[in-house]
Amino acid sequence: MIAQLSLTALLFAVILYALSQYRRAPAVGLMSMMVALVGLYFVWLPSHATRLAAFAGIGRGVDLVLYVWVVISMLMLLNLHLRLRMQMEQITSLARALAMANARETSSRSAP
Amino acid sequence: MTTQPVWIAIAAYNEGSVIAGVIEGVRAAGYAVVAVDDGSADDTADAAERAGAAVVRHPINLGQGAALQTGIEFALAAGAEIVVTFDADGQHRVSDVAVLTAALKEHNADFALGSRFLGGTLNQPLSRRLVLRLATLFTRLSVGMNVTDTHNGLRAMTRRGAQRIKLRQNRMAHASEILHQVAQSGLPFVEVPVTIEYSAYSMAKGQKLTDALTILLDLFARRLHR
Repeated sequence: MIAQLSLTALLFAVILYALSQYRRAPAVGLMSMMVALVGLYFVWLPSHATRLAAFAGIGRGVDLVLYVWVVISMLMLLNLHLRLRMQMEQITSLARALAMANARETSSRSAP
Repeated sequence: MTTQPVWIAIAAYNEGSVIAGVIEGVRAAGYAVVAVDDGSADDTADAAERAGAAVVRHPINLGQGAALQTGIEFALAAGAEIVVTFDADGQHRVSDVAVLTAALKEHNADFALGSRFLGGTLNQPLSRRLVLRLATLFTRLSVGMNVTDTHNGLRAMTRRGAQRIKLRQNRMAHASEILHQVAQSGLPFVEVPVTIEYSAYSMAKGQKLTDALTILLDLFARRLHR
């Protein structure tokens, strides 16, 4: 019961987060919302998770949740990686613009 | 800044001990030089400036691909008709620059790519040879260009060609990226034999097999977004 209550509180926090993110990134908001709702469902009806797991060919409901979670975190990691690359490209443009501006200033100062 | 037809773009990161010699050699042959100091911790920028290069300093280290792109853009802004990329570690021969620019004219091409496998190599270790052959095979398969040496830092391009190069691979994967963009541009290219001189210095700074893995990951990530 303790675990169920604390998990419920956590998942509600996720739902609030999803609502706040929905306007900025609808895809992320919708996904987190769905994950949280499915999580809530399985927290209160673990037997359904087990039945679904058995249907998918996995022994226990816990294992099913675990596997799905691993996949989700991998996708999140990939997304984060791509976002970092994008940020690096922006930093590159910024640094290049700065370097070029400095170079122009130096050459115009040294010109007779 | 006087307008020079041929600009040599050199990306340099912590090459303070050799950069001056390389730049002086290129200057002596009458080419304008832009050295991009990629956030070096040593005196690369000062040494390059003293040797007669226009110097652009990246405030932070971004990688060779980024530095080359900066050099190309600087050269274009300076009015270059031909931009030549040249390694900072002294492995290229200055005399090959004239060979490349002549090839551009002769074949009416927009890119002249140096190839050590058409030309000669001095002191090339077997391990380096194998890594490069594999890299070439990989690039041929993924880019679909029939070139013999995909990872040669010596290339010449016309203004039109250089304007089509927009390197976004900051690190070493830019070598494959350049070829990819050359292929995408649809502009004519030609491969030209050049000589690479392997020295202890260039070997120590060169790419090893483990770096190849990083390059593959970079290229793969590139395919994933946009």
